[in-house]
Amino acid sequence: MTPTPFSQTPPAANTTLLEVHDLSVHYGYGAGATKAVQNVSFRLAHGEFVGLVGESGSGKSTLGFALTGLSKPPAHIEKGRILFGGKDIASLDAEQLREQRHGGIAMVLQSGMNALNPVRSIRNHFVDIFRAHGHVERSRWTARATELIGKVELTPQVLDRFPGELSGGMRQRVSIALALSLEPELMVFDEPTTALDVLVQHAVMNTIIELQKSENFTAILISHDLGIVLESAQRVMVMHEGRIVEDAPARQILQNPQAPYTRMLLSHYADPRAEVVELPGFADRQQRKAEGASRTEAATHTPTVSPRTRRTDQHAMVVENVSKIYPAPRRGEAPVRAVDNVSFTLEPGAALALVGASGSGKSTIAKLITAVEKPTSGSIRFGDLDVGKLNRRHFRRLHRDVQMVFQDPYSALNPLHTVEYALTRPVINFTGLTGTDARRRVLELLDIVGLSPVEEFAAKLPHQLSGGQRQRVVIARALASDPQVIIADEPVSMLDVSLRAGVLALLEDLREQWGVSLLYITHDLLSARVVTDNIMVLNGGAVVERGVTADVLQNPQDDYTIRLLDAIPNPRKVVA
Amino acid sequence: MTSTTAAPRGVDGLAPTRPGPTDAAHAPSPIVTSLGFVARKLGLFALTLWAAVTVNFLLPRLMPGTPADAALAKLAQNGPVTEATKAAIEAQLGVPTGNIVEQYFAYLHQVVTLDFGISYTFYPQSVGELVSAALPYTLVLVGLVTVVAFILGTLLGVLAAWKRGTWLDSVPTLVGSFMSAFPYFWTALLLLFFAGYVLRLFPTSGAYGPTAQPNLSFEFFGDALYHGVLPALTILITSLGGWILGMRNTMISTLGDDYVTFAEANGLKPRTIALRYAARNAILPNLTSFGLALGGVVGGSILVEQVFGYPGIGYLLFNAVTNQDYPLMQALFLMITVSVLIANFLVDILYGVLDPRTRR
Repeated sequence: MTPTPFSQTPPAANTTLLEVHDLSVHYGYGAGATKAVQNVSFRLAHGEFVGLVGESGSGKSTLGFALTGLSKPPAHIEKGRILFGGKDIASLDAEQLREQRHGGIAMVLQSGMNALNPVRSIRNHFVDIFRAHGHVERSRWTARATELIGKVELTPQVLDRFPGELSGGMRQRVSIALALSLEPELMVFDEPTTALDVLVQHAVMNTIIELQKSENFTAILISHDLGIVLESAQRVMVMHEGRIVEDAPARQILQNPQAPYTRMLLSHYADPRAEVVELPGFADRQQRKAEGASRTEAATHTPTVSPRTRRTDQHAMVVENVSKIYPAPRRGEAPVRAVDNVSFTLEPGAALALVGASGSGKSTIAKLITAVEKPTSGSIRFGDLDVGKLNRRHFRRLHRDVQMVFQDPYSALNPLHTVEYALTRPVINFTGLTGTDARRRVLELLDIVGLSPVEEFAAKLPHQLSGGQRQRVVIARALASDPQVIIADEPVSMLDVSLRAGVLALLEDLREQWGVSLLYITHDLLSARVVTDNIMVLNGGAVVERGVTADVLQNPQDDYTIRLLDAIPNPRKVVA
Repeated sequence: MTSTTAAPRGVDGLAPTRPGPTDAAHAPSPIVTSLGFVARKLGLFALTLWAAVTVNFLLPRLMPGTPADAALAKLAQNGPVTEATKAAIEAQLGVPTGNIVEQYFAYLHQVVTLDFGISYTFYPQSVGELVSAALPYTLVLVGLVTVVAFILGTLLGVLAAWKRGTWLDSVPTLVGSFMSAFPYFWTALLLLFFAGYVLRLFPTSGAYGPTAQPNLSFEFFGDALYHGVLPALTILITSLGGWILGMRNTMISTLGDDYVTFAEANGLKPRTIALRYAARNAILPNLTSFGLALGGVVGGSILVEQVFGYPGIGYLLFNAVTNQDYPLMQALFLMITVSVLIANFLVDILYGVLDPRTRR
């Protein structure tokens, strides 16, 4: 079934299932307490599917944990009531809370990957629940577990597997089946698909939507992705800084959002297939080209210095018929063809998107280009360097010109060192500058990536920066060697939507103004549309489609590209 | 969108055509997997055992001269040695015959038949006799206490982590770290002085009383147990704290893991969560230290056995080293190596039983 929440009227919409009164959740006590959730009140009717949307730090997960009675110190309910079936969840003792979990509130956690006990079989996970609540007779354990695992579209064989033997999507499905085994009235899904691949994410979301209808539970879907929520929920609550800033039917949120924050979130969604794609800070790429104009005023940052220190020569990265085959993971299995006969050329100043789901070979290509891995066959040339046959001693030459920006800005910086330290190392190593010269260069780099006042940012430690600021530091670090090519591996996927545009704009600036070429690796077709000219779609290591980004996305030929496009959560798609 | 809902599921590992983890026909049965696992570990064990035995053979031969040469050189310091004395010493200590390969096979034969020659120190007792007399005392005393300390410490650690912040946490943690900070021999001397000498509760040395007959009677066992209390207590006191702290700390980190939160969200009984979810995972890293401790049982008890005059392997080793008793030393070093290997093998198998991830 197609998820069309608007055509559905919730059954028995009038009977209240959950009522939250003036709820505040704090971390810590007294003046120093962090007020994660502040004076939240709402009411949930039987059978509703409600989305709870907010960016990181908005308090949405804290609220979810409070509703399910799972708040752990230092988090605690400061005041307010959570009335569920006539009882106040906030005032139940541990054993009452435990008992109400059968037929009460169930929760599916954000990191479903790690939600299963690695040393217990899936069957035993079910048995533990049956045993704890005694709601299934011993003789029916296997039958019931098989039935539940079937509901999430898994085969009964999964029951005898251990979590480590299942894929991420399968594990999340098992989590959902386990939560279902409690026969809950209310299911709280906390970012149930965030860590999953786009296509898997799409499939798991569909299962959740179908289950909600067939099993008749009430659902709260917590997500940072307004697109996912609008595709599935009938009603949306938008959370910002601990408060619910908007609570309205999904259609109204989409067509007539009231809160400025909701409008801001919505403005970051667009259909990458549209004729004209505009995001905040990004005018449409095609039009921009035609007019010869740069981006809109807001996002254009004009650094006072040039990132170029010495470079006059420019080379293209030429990849020809490259394959990478890894030996079989276990005896008796076929070798893994991670990259299969891929060719492309990255011209100086060009931006190429490399798109595909996890396991499609995107990251392997990045490893080949940076000489982390050697190709099994084919050649990679950069100027006079034969990257594929480069030995360790010449890595330095390559890495001066080719730099990576990693996906996760939270783990890409050493938490013990200041920003200045993180930038000084590559400056000294690659440019030979020392002392005050090196320091001047570090401050210039910070200026280039728009982190000013530069002196202040230089002295900060990574944990004092937001995700977007950290990613800027990572980009500055990549720029320290004055590279010609930047390989950005999902540079914005870990960031909140409101921060994404800024980082993308920065990459765009570097390319337009300084001629750095960009290999943009992503599964996010929308961002690919706004920052790249050309696109290559990978599936199973091979290029299945390539061309001008806007053309490919508007008129996809390959079945896989079409599926990728369909899997993108896009609120507007629902209305259209 | 109706057409696309079915398609993406293939990516999820659910399509029947794709051999994935769900495809039971291709997966080996659990019994075959475990047998293969044990066989692999056994093979590895045999290989390292052979290597250890070989190194034990080679090391003494890398030293210049023979034991007889050393003895003669010592005697020569007091004046010239007669031919007769030389012949007598060489007959007593033995001179290598044949080339190194022949020696090696002769040595292997001796190892297999547990024939390690005659001890110099306890002449004319054979090394085999000495070791087999001492081994039970060390194995029972140190081995048993090490296992008991591990189990007791782990249980206390589980309790401390589960009741974090209460007296059940603070008392064992504090007392444990305090006690394990004492040096081994100092604890032994304290116990010896107060419990043995001042209060006269327990005997101060030996494995059994001077009048006892070492046999399999209850009387003898009681006597041996009585004599073992103080050394056992020393080992327990000094090692317990480490186990408590180790288990407590790993368990606190597993208690924060997602599967524990999820188990809580599913309303499992607190006991199940504490034991089968948190403790079961927390014990895994501690098994490695347990393996090391078990391996150290045979060789690591020199101080305790020395202080209490306990006739175990440690006591024997001390005597062998101080008297340059080469045959005894060689046999003991081999014993120690083998016991470390056996302990590691056992822990490897235990790991396989406890952690499905290591079975593959």
